[in-house]
Amino acid sequence: MSLILKGVMQSTVTPLKDDFSIDLPTFERLLDFHVRTGATAISWPHHKGESLNLTMAERKACAEVAVKVVAGRVPVSIHVSALALENTMELAQHAQKIGADAIIAVTPYFWRPTIEEMYDYFVWLGTSIDLPLIAYNSPHHQGTGFTGDLTRRLIERLPNFIGMKDAGFISEKFVEVARVALALKPTFSMIAGVEFLAPSVPLGCAGSYSSAGAICPNLCLQLYDACVAGKSALARELQYKLIRLWDLFRDQYPSSLKGGMVLMGRPVGPTRPPLPTATKERQAFIAAELKDLGILDTEPHGW
Amino acid sequence: MSIFTPGLVHAPVTPFAKDNRIDLDTFEKLIEFHLRNGAEALAISMHTGESVSLTDEEQRMLIEFTIRQVKGRVPVIANASDSGTAIAAARAHYAEEAGAAAIVATVPYYWTPPPAMLVEHLAQIGEAVQIPFFVYYAPSEVVGPKLTNDIVLKLIDRLGNFAGFVDASQDWQFMISMILNAKRKRPEFQLLTGVEYMVSAGAVGATSMFSSLAGVAPKLVRRLYDICRKEKYFEARKPQEEISELRQVVKCPGFAGLKGAMRAMGRDCGETRRPVMALGAGYEKLAAELNALAILHEEPRGW
Repeated sequence: MSLILKGVMQSTVTPLKDDFSIDLPTFERLLDFHVRTGATAISWPHHKGESLNLTMAERKACAEVAVKVVAGRVPVSIHVSALALENTMELAQHAQKIGADAIIAVTPYFWRPTIEEMYDYFVWLGTSIDLPLIAYNSPHHQGTGFTGDLTRRLIERLPNFIGMKDAGFISEKFVEVARVALALKPTFSMIAGVEFLAPSVPLGCAGSYSSAGAICPNLCLQLYDACVAGKSALARELQYKLIRLWDLFRDQYPSSLKGGMVLMGRPVGPTRPPLPTATKERQAFIAAELKDLGILDTEPHGW
Repeated sequence: MSIFTPGLVHAPVTPFAKDNRIDLDTFEKLIEFHLRNGAEALAISMHTGESVSLTDEEQRMLIEFTIRQVKGRVPVIANASDSGTAIAAARAHYAEEAGAAAIVATVPYYWTPPPAMLVEHLAQIGEAVQIPFFVYYAPSEVVGPKLTNDIVLKLIDRLGNFAGFVDASQDWQFMISMILNAKRKRPEFQLLTGVEYMVSAGAVGATSMFSSLAGVAPKLVRRLYDICRKEKYFEARKPQEEISELRQVVKCPGFAGLKGAMRAMGRDCGETRRPVMALGAGYEKLAAELNALAILHEEPRGW
């Protein structure tokens, strides 16, 4: 039940056909693309995978495909968060049944739970399965987040609590969770929610769930390598490149990311409402930025 | 305009006597303490110095007093922040006449003007002086309008003396994007961290650090700062975690915790002004927690 996550991990988008139904052959190609271009783990469906816009049946079917296509080459974790926690539990049980390597779960939606409610939730979820559990901290979206003390209590209570995806990106909060968690459990994986690695790797961050990996896997790996090697000036320069990409993608995520994938020869279709689909004008703007960043010349085109 | 890099900036508290008036004798000792213990510049009066609880006359007096006391040994940065644009601009002008090396100002208190007026507010403060002007941003301290990349870029266009941004948001998404875009417009523009989280800030380009904990643990603050300026961020992780731990203890009882910590270190600067409640019985608990911190054993006690 132990799993140590590190490096540049990829959370896959969910390819859709023009009628918004799931495009399974493209999903398979994309999973394979990520594994071939250096992903150290696959995770699906994060919010980037439009998790909340998928039915339970779709989530289960695609989870099975992900496990089958990756076929043990790297670990696969399944994001089980749903509005109703009954569904979360069902997805967690399903992930275990199909042979996933871990589950990942965000703090509950909508309710802005208290610290005690978050503790209760993660204990309930973590004790119900035999898989490693990764917690997903998203304070800006959820209105509430992890503290060092909550992390400590959960590590003490749950032997399968092995890591945290941090999407807070705030120095003090990161230090407080990492400081407490890594002192208590040195194998615990702190994972940057997207590739904010320059500010986090020196503080014990083990890797990232990439946002831009479907566009520029080489750049993502270069940043990680520079950070781990302590090449501060290079890391800063690469981090500056990646912030330009994140500034392109973060609004209405993953609409623009999917738009950008068209330009890289890896079209994955539209984005389900209420998120917009990147327009031709938006794609042209993204193309100009990618060109300016040199990405069209340095990154793989097509599958 | 020549580049002014303030370096390690200590932000002293404002000592009050029992009758609630500013205790200048103690303030003099405090300035000397900061100068003997690693300050490369002083910032008078930041929120740490209860600027918001001081009258305009008191703030002007403290700036003048500090400049006279320091006698050019280090630069003195004056905080001009206020609600009204004209009031803040006049204080900035006064500080320049008195010999301040730079001005710092944050968003207006209470008001939430539209972006164009926010630019106007900060621009008028900056235009009131010839010396370098820094914007200070602490969204966790100031309930008020958000600063954006766009506002920073407009201010660069408007102000030849807009030298840098003192960030206490600690928000990696904002910091990285802001400094990258600002430097593309003004290469000498500087990122400074407004809190002692120098590892992440330094890794993404910060060159200076404001510190309020320097009054409590000046050696630790200096150690963190020096290692970060050498860009040895892995080495800086330990002092960073130690400062973070200290910060959690000091801020636990609220704003009065800082003066409580000063007293516990043998540098009594009196109580906080209303509306911040004095620690009262909470002082013993804070002092006990601070005494339990091994990192404080090497720090200077008394003046």
